Amino acid sequence: MIVEGRPILQARNLRKLFPVGRGMLFAVDGVDLDIMAGQTLALVGESGSGKSTVGRCLVRLIEPTSGEVFLDGRSILGLNSVLLARQYRRVQMVFQDPNASLNPRMTVRQTLIEPLRLHLKMNRRTREARARELVEMVGLTTAHLDRYPNELSGGQRQRVGIARAVAVEPDVVILDEPTSSLDVSVRGQILDLLMDLQAKLNLAYLFISHDLQVVRHVSHRVAVMYLGGIVEIGPTAKVFSEPKHPYTRALLSAAPVAKWGVKRTRLRLSGEISSPIDLPDTCRLVGRCPFQQPVCSEARPKLVDIDQDHAVACPIVLAKTEGPPPFVGLLATPSVTAGAHPATLTQ
Amino acid sequence: MNVATAPIVAAAPLNAAPLLEIENYSGSFRARNGDLTPVLYNVSLQLKTGVITAVVGETGSGKTLVASSILGIQPATFVRTSGRILLGGVDLVSLDEKGLRKIRGGQISMVFQDARAALNPMFTVGRQLADVHQRLHGSGKAEAMEAAVDAIRRVHIPEPARRARQYPHEFSGGMAQRAMIAMAALICEPQLLILDEPTTGLDVTIQSEIMDLILELSRSRGLTTCLITHDLGVVAATCEEVVVMNAGRVVETGSAETIFTAAKDGYTRKLLAASQLGEMAA
Ligand SMILES: Nc1ncnc2c1ncn2[C@@H]1O[C@H](COP(=O)(O)OP(=O)(O)OP(=O)(O)O)[C@@H](O)[C@H]1O
Ligand SMILES: Nc1ncnc2c1ncn2[C@@H]1O[C@H](COP(=O)(O)OP(=O)(O)OP(=O)(O)O)[C@@H](O)[C@H]1O
Ligand SMILES: [Mg+2]
Ligand SMILES: [Mg+2]
Repeated sequence: MIVEGRPILQARNLRKLFPVGRGMLFAVDGVDLDIMAGQTLALVGESGSGKSTVGRCLVRLIEPTSGEVFLDGRSILGLNSVLLARQYRRVQMVFQDPNASLNPRMTVRQTLIEPLRLHLKMNRRTREARARELVEMVGLTTAHLDRYPNELSGGQRQRVGIARAVAVEPDVVILDEPTSSLDVSVRGQILDLLMDLQAKLNLAYLFISHDLQVVRHVSHRVAVMYLGGIVEIGPTAKVFSEPKHPYTRALLSAAPVAKWGVKRTRLRLSGEISSPIDLPDTCRLVGRCPFQQPVCSEARPKLVDIDQDHAVACPIVLAKTEGPPPFVGLLATPSVTAGAHPATLTQ
Repeated sequence: MNVATAPIVAAAPLNAAPLLEIENYSGSFRARNGDLTPVLYNVSLQLKTGVITAVVGETGSGKTLVASSILGIQPATFVRTSGRILLGGVDLVSLDEKGLRKIRGGQISMVFQDARAALNPMFTVGRQLADVHQRLHGSGKAEAMEAAVDAIRRVHIPEPARRARQYPHEFSGGMAQRAMIAMAALICEPQLLILDEPTTGLDVTIQSEIMDLILELSRSRGLTTCLITHDLGVVAATCEEVVVMNAGRVVETGSAETIFTAAKDGYTRKLLAASQLGEMAA
């Protein structure tokens, strides 16, 4: 696959297994990712498919079981703690639950100032000025600087997390559900801010989100995860307008629409989500997929390019490019018929 | 109670009597220096029996504060300056801690915005659900654990029996959220269920299944639900009534249809417009 740009953070064959009882839980099982400088890669997919675990491995909050992570082409898994700490500033993370990631005993000011002192060695006066600038940047006021996390609303806490991450001028920010507790207008404001910073500082984002509307708005490329693996990856506009993998299609067709009386055709996957424990070497959608064929149980499908920059792990989709299309008549029209242009969110 | 065999009744009519009524509720936060900063201004709203009511609005507008006031768990620095919160004619604000404790869980239960933080990291998820079941329904140990596993299954967490034996940190964000929904909706079996941003961390397929479950509970059991959310898509798909809040005030209330098709308030219209621009074609 050819992706334009310079890769800043890369993962190769990343795996994270958790021992559970007598088995192994395959949280992340063979993920390859290229996060390009100045670009946004979105990571979407089923709850429990391993998105946060990928993020945590990338910032080395947890050690991957195997695989490699490269920052600017250098492996960061081999680094000792001193070197890692130096690199660490360059990769920041905004966590899924801001409650658990903000220190309850630190005011917003302390939370923001700490990394400035530690990583940027700023003096007191510059730190204070920067902290003020940061809270205002994320739409809070300087009055919030003296608050503790439990004195903020959910959305306000989330914005403090974002301010803290961008405070140290990183190269890559992993955003795990960064806008989930924000209303649409503040969400628009935060997304605009993130995109502004991206343009100004050439920031790269890994944007983990369930909000497909937001993903479509902010990301250049999107990777879709299912049970520990990426099943489809490609340019956002393409994946949204022509989703290929059955899971991607089911996901996109389930997105609710903020309009009254809209009826949608959904592609539903049958049955239960399979267990992530001791996974068999088959397609992980076997048993749930409406297009399933015997070939799907023969081996775990690999990502194969169906276009220069769009890859899918599904033998049925790939067969389609040769034989007659197996989907015709079977498939619910995906609700997302995006134009070529990313949608614009305004306030 | 076995919900699956309960008779399915039609959705409650929108003129149903309110289960809970908030009247002119106002309040302020007391700063460390003693100053009072008003945050809620004459908030009035009704939650009708058997109906799913959405509360939407700006972050920081006071949604969580109103919801936690219902349960009497508002921050200690919050001072009520006026108003009542009536549940079946009883003013909850006048109840003492003991009276409130009777209502929490059994009659009113709530899923918090940050679900994982609400789970106790020291105990397995199954144990926590089972404990609550024992406490509220006086069930035996084995029966309570069975109810816990069943509740986990019904929020679509795969392998519920195994998951019940895990600790919260072993759950993904979305699973922790669903475990809390299982606790509040299925284990507590409340009359009123308050959900604070329950589906934000869930992918859309699971999100719609959870909302289907809530719908089913309101139909079969007459559950009254208050859904605080930023997701107007979910509101359009599942809610019958909508309350719109902005900066500590209720700016508009009405049926979901009216709000989506004929909103009167300027802020409501702005909110709807913001969520529809960038909208996927339907
Ligand atoms: N303990 C506290 N002390 C002072 N102010 C507080 C405290 N808790 C909340 N607030 C403020 O009260 C206002 C209402 O907060 P609330 O949590 O109810 O908002 P919300 O509508 O739920 O917002 P969100 O959508 O972001 O969760 C906010 O401006 C918040 O900053
Ligand atoms: N510390 C841990 N111990 C055991 N299992 C874990 C641990 N952390 C995560 N898991 C498991 O790994 C899998 C992937 O979890 P992860 O949090 O990465 O999912 P996710 O895609 O971020 O889901 P969500 O969208 O719900 O946040 C899940 O099955 C989860 O239960
Ligand atoms: Mg997650
Ligand atoms: Mg809130």
